[in-house]
Amino acid sequence: MRKKDLFLARRLTGRYASLWVSVLAILLMLVTASILLLLIGKDPLAAFRSFLQGCGMIPKAKYGGGSGQLTDLMDFLNYLAPMILASLAFITAFRAGLFNIGISGQMLLAGFTATVIVGYNKALSAAVAKPLVLLIGLAVGGLTGVLIGFLKYRFNIHEVVSTIMLNYIISYLTGFLINSNYVDMMTRNSKVCTPEARLTLTNVMIGGLKCKIPLSLVLAILIALLVSFLFRKTVLGFEIKAVGMNRRCSEYTGIRVSRTILLSMGFSGAIAGLAGVAYYMGYTNSIIPKALPGMGYDSISVALLGSGAPIGSIFAAVIVSLFQQGANYMSSSIGVAKEIASLITGILLLFAACGNYMKYLAERRIQQAADTMQPSPAPGEQEDKEVKAL
Amino acid sequence: MNKVFTDGLSFALPLLIMAIGALYSEKSGVTNLAVEGFQGVGAFFGALAATLLSPVMGNGNQLIIYIAIIAAALGGALFSCVHGLLCIRFRANQVISGVVINILSVALTAFFTSAANQAISGSASNKFVLDVSTRFSVPLLCGIPWIGGLFTNMYPFEIIIMVLVIVLWYLMNKTTFGMRLRACGENPQAVDAAGGNVTGIRWKAVMISGALSGIGGICFAYSLIGNFSPSIYQGFGYLAIAAMIFGNWKIGPTTLACLMFGLAKSGGLQLCIAAQLPSIYTDLFLMLPYVLTLLLLVFFSKKNHPPKAAGEPWDKSKR
Amino acid sequence: MNDCIVELRHITKRFPGIIANDDVSIGIRKGEVYALLGENGAGKSTLMSILFGIYEPDQGEILVDGKPVTFHSSTDAAACGIGMVHQHFKLVEPFTIAENIVLGVEPKEKKLGVLPWVNMQKANRQISELSRAYGLEVNPTDRIMDVPVSVRQRVEILKMLYRGAEIMIFDEPTAVLTPQEIDFLLQIIDNLRRDGKTIILITHKIAEIMRIADRCAILRQGRLIGVREVAGASAQELADLMVGRQVQFTQEKTPPQYREPVLEVQHLTVKNEHKYDVVRDVSFTIRGGEIFAIAGVSGNGQGEIADAVAGLVKAASGKVLLNGKDMTGSPVRERTLAGMSYIPEDRLATGTIPDMTLQDNLALREYFRPPFARKGILNQDAFRSYAEKLIGTYDIRCAQGPDTVIRSMSGGNQQKAIVGREIEEQTNLIIFVQPTRGLDIGAIENIHRQILQERERGAAILLISLELDEIMSLADTIGVLYRGEMLKIEAADRLSTQEVGRYMMGVKEA
Repeated sequence: MRKKDLFLARRLTGRYASLWVSVLAILLMLVTASILLLLIGKDPLAAFRSFLQGCGMIPKAKYGGGSGQLTDLMDFLNYLAPMILASLAFITAFRAGLFNIGISGQMLLAGFTATVIVGYNKALSAAVAKPLVLLIGLAVGGLTGVLIGFLKYRFNIHEVVSTIMLNYIISYLTGFLINSNYVDMMTRNSKVCTPEARLTLTNVMIGGLKCKIPLSLVLAILIALLVSFLFRKTVLGFEIKAVGMNRRCSEYTGIRVSRTILLSMGFSGAIAGLAGVAYYMGYTNSIIPKALPGMGYDSISVALLGSGAPIGSIFAAVIVSLFQQGANYMSSSIGVAKEIASLITGILLLFAACGNYMKYLAERRIQQAADTMQPSPAPGEQEDKEVKAL
Repeated sequence: MNKVFTDGLSFALPLLIMAIGALYSEKSGVTNLAVEGFQGVGAFFGALAATLLSPVMGNGNQLIIYIAIIAAALGGALFSCVHGLLCIRFRANQVISGVVINILSVALTAFFTSAANQAISGSASNKFVLDVSTRFSVPLLCGIPWIGGLFTNMYPFEIIIMVLVIVLWYLMNKTTFGMRLRACGENPQAVDAAGGNVTGIRWKAVMISGALSGIGGICFAYSLIGNFSPSIYQGFGYLAIAAMIFGNWKIGPTTLACLMFGLAKSGGLQLCIAAQLPSIYTDLFLMLPYVLTLLLLVFFSKKNHPPKAAGEPWDKSKR
Repeated sequence: MNDCIVELRHITKRFPGIIANDDVSIGIRKGEVYALLGENGAGKSTLMSILFGIYEPDQGEILVDGKPVTFHSSTDAAACGIGMVHQHFKLVEPFTIAENIVLGVEPKEKKLGVLPWVNMQKANRQISELSRAYGLEVNPTDRIMDVPVSVRQRVEILKMLYRGAEIMIFDEPTAVLTPQEIDFLLQIIDNLRRDGKTIILITHKIAEIMRIADRCAILRQGRLIGVREVAGASAQELADLMVGRQVQFTQEKTPPQYREPVLEVQHLTVKNEHKYDVVRDVSFTIRGGEIFAIAGVSGNGQGEIADAVAGLVKAASGKVLLNGKDMTGSPVRERTLAGMSYIPEDRLATGTIPDMTLQDNLALREYFRPPFARKGILNQDAFRSYAEKLIGTYDIRCAQGPDTVIRSMSGGNQQKAIVGREIEEQTNLIIFVQPTRGLDIGAIENIHRQILQERERGAAILLISLELDEIMSLADTIGVLYRGEMLKIEAADRLSTQEVGRYMMGVKEA
């Protein structure tokens, strides 16, 4: 009983503690979701299976004409790409101690700007349009991020409040512009963008199945590697981490805190901009006026679940995307409201946020176990050794 | 012009009660960004109660509104225990907890509204339709030019909120509970050494903030939106927090800030109507409160003094 | 034992990882001044916190007036007549003095028979009377944030008296006072004793024990070493018992050998956020091989002078010259590269990044240049070897080597890491702010020795400290700061402790 008791505690305080916290959070979420499903009279296993089927991870019983498991899988990856980018955006700011809750707004603004400038321009070829879209995404998102960083550093405005305000301002502004100039009368959404500008190739035939190919997935993985490299190996990454952990000491060290905050928010916004174009000109090809993408908030769940680590967030993104993307199929085959996907993501986020507490409990257990095994040294005994040595 | 004051006040008061909720929590030392979520969940409980009671007590029965308000307060207080648990017991990062609660609230209310509607009426709608609330005007005062608008066409909940605000002000500034609460937000060690129960006080403050936010939410549902649906989440919770920041964490100035937000919103809308702009332009004017908030934050954030201990989890063994 | 008003029997208290009190038994007689002597970390504060009800003992019992009692909170202790003045004042800054004193025992009334209400007028009156009765004059409506340190201590004492305390615990009360204020406080304690109160004095300052205490209990590493009658004991005896070995009271200091001026501060003025002058027209010079110490009561501008010299705070006017070069507008990094080191006051808030590893913290001065980084890319091997070198040179104890997280290290070792990081580079100017705060005698001796070594090497040293003993034993030149003004600059051997104390209180002519 002793040994097994401490198994969990040891994992939570060891080198891979963050990984184990995430695993624990996922397990707890699965248990909670199962209980919830049972309470409304549904079979949890069938529900989870249908999530996986909806994403093309396991085959469905029947497929419509021209589509197959690969179609679903590619659709899933098409959703995954912007999700990974959005969570990387959150992580980049988070490491500097900043909460970029405005990813939704940044995504929308970048997607809208790119759609209007490139997406409606019939004269551009794919080779020109697609890189241009990425550039606009980076620029628009980056500038928004720098603005938020500036407001924080210069005026001490808490970024949670400023980013939420910007979210609503952006959503009303773009909604107004779409409704007045770019609206498609039939769908009430914005007009669709040209296929040349689109970051996802549609209607590609692979083995007789109609598939989409998300080009932005490659981009997402590249950015993840870049962000990881930034924080592990570069001077700038080191400074961002320092500012995030202790601003005052960073000042003493000579780090220019203002520049660091602006840069990290700028990067965060820029990556959010990429997520925006990957979403609005990849995953979909039109914009619903005044609607902020829920992905911007889900990305926070992903980032926290991945413990703020870039590579870890890829796996966390897979988990969260699984539930979001598979919800439609699950809803139609099992008969549960598709809002349950958001609920599951929310519960997952809750458990992930308790991660620190779990680690703290684990540390306490280990300390208690050690104390009862042998009497601890009296205070100052450590110092005592120093005294004798001197 | 009267309409500006009428609509302005009916927006400002629910905002104010939410802001005071946030204020209570922050003054006790618990950073509260979860007001948005609390008001949504509180409104959910209120609307649920109204929907359940409507067939029983008769459609259009105004008493239902009062019961809905009580239900909203209780529901908000109950849900705020999650934030309390995360911040007080688990000592999580309070900003993260607030953001988590807001995300969770949207998901929770959407799911349970569908589920409840499914159970009640068989159709999985994500709205609870609410009755229209009757309005009344104060006899003599509504005749005053301009300001008379403040007393015309009032919702009954506005009176409830005004009374509550006075009670809450008194509680915070004149009673021992309020004094200890304010001390907890500045130096919880002092309260502990004086024999006060820091954890207990903070729990009460968080639950008060949940209850007050819930009241704000259901009032918005009745006045502004006309139903309970995902559109309850319009960022008003964050506006309330901004008002609290401008008010420098004091009830008096916060009231002024909320009035200003309310008048800006209703004023902008009336301007739009008066200029006879097409309805598309309303979106631009809806943007006004948020832009105003941002501008005001630019000018006023430097001088603000949040409670010193807000955001720091209370740890008894730290000296 | 029968005239004991308070008895602690076999008290044991554990915290995760340490035994703070190990089977301690003491008895305190009514009307005496009983001192608890011990180093930082010996367990004295913990023991008294148990008596005051903040903690509950794991084992043992407390008796008051011969009857066993259990305290679940400090209200219980207060009900038995026990009060405590804490080392770190437990005051609410925006509240008035009266509000702070009555917090927890507010005079409650019911307005109109129904509404609960705190009667602050009554409280103000009661406190005025109380303060006059005990010679602790305060104005009840002043806000704590506007009031100096010595007045804050009076408020803490009044807190006890307001609750009718008969047994009064003072935790390190003289740490923040000037010599004259210490005299005043000891007089107050004497008055209280004559009034029949029992006083428990927690301190590590033997001189004060010799002046005022009747008996003294010595604690070391959580255990009671012994109890002595102060009248028959010597200071040396008490000191040796406290530390467990022979203690050297003064450091060996070689005669000064001054070199070229390294730091010149000319007419420095610094304003705070309310545009108020916290440093006013201060000028001084420090030569190589000289220790220049700034003495002053906490909050008189010392911290701001250090920050301005380091570049963390902008000077409103005046100049800072380092090695002859005007550095007044230069950013921090330029100054550190030009030959400045800074050991700040607070280890965890500003001296280190507590959640980073020892390795990363030790490299904070160097991480951006070769061999630690080339073209913006970090070289982890360089970090590693540098950390290992410093760990060896400065004897830094770390459980997991360079990968140890700073937060988990002891205070003494954290300070060693900071000092090592800063002086390894052997810069011309070293600034020490409160370098020995919260450390035990062994660590303090170590730091003092390092400071003197750097002085011999020829560095210019700016020492800012609240411990007058430390200043008197280390400094070559002393500058006394009062309300932002440098009232006196003089060679240390020409100043007496009493004179320095008077300048610290603002007396312009000693």
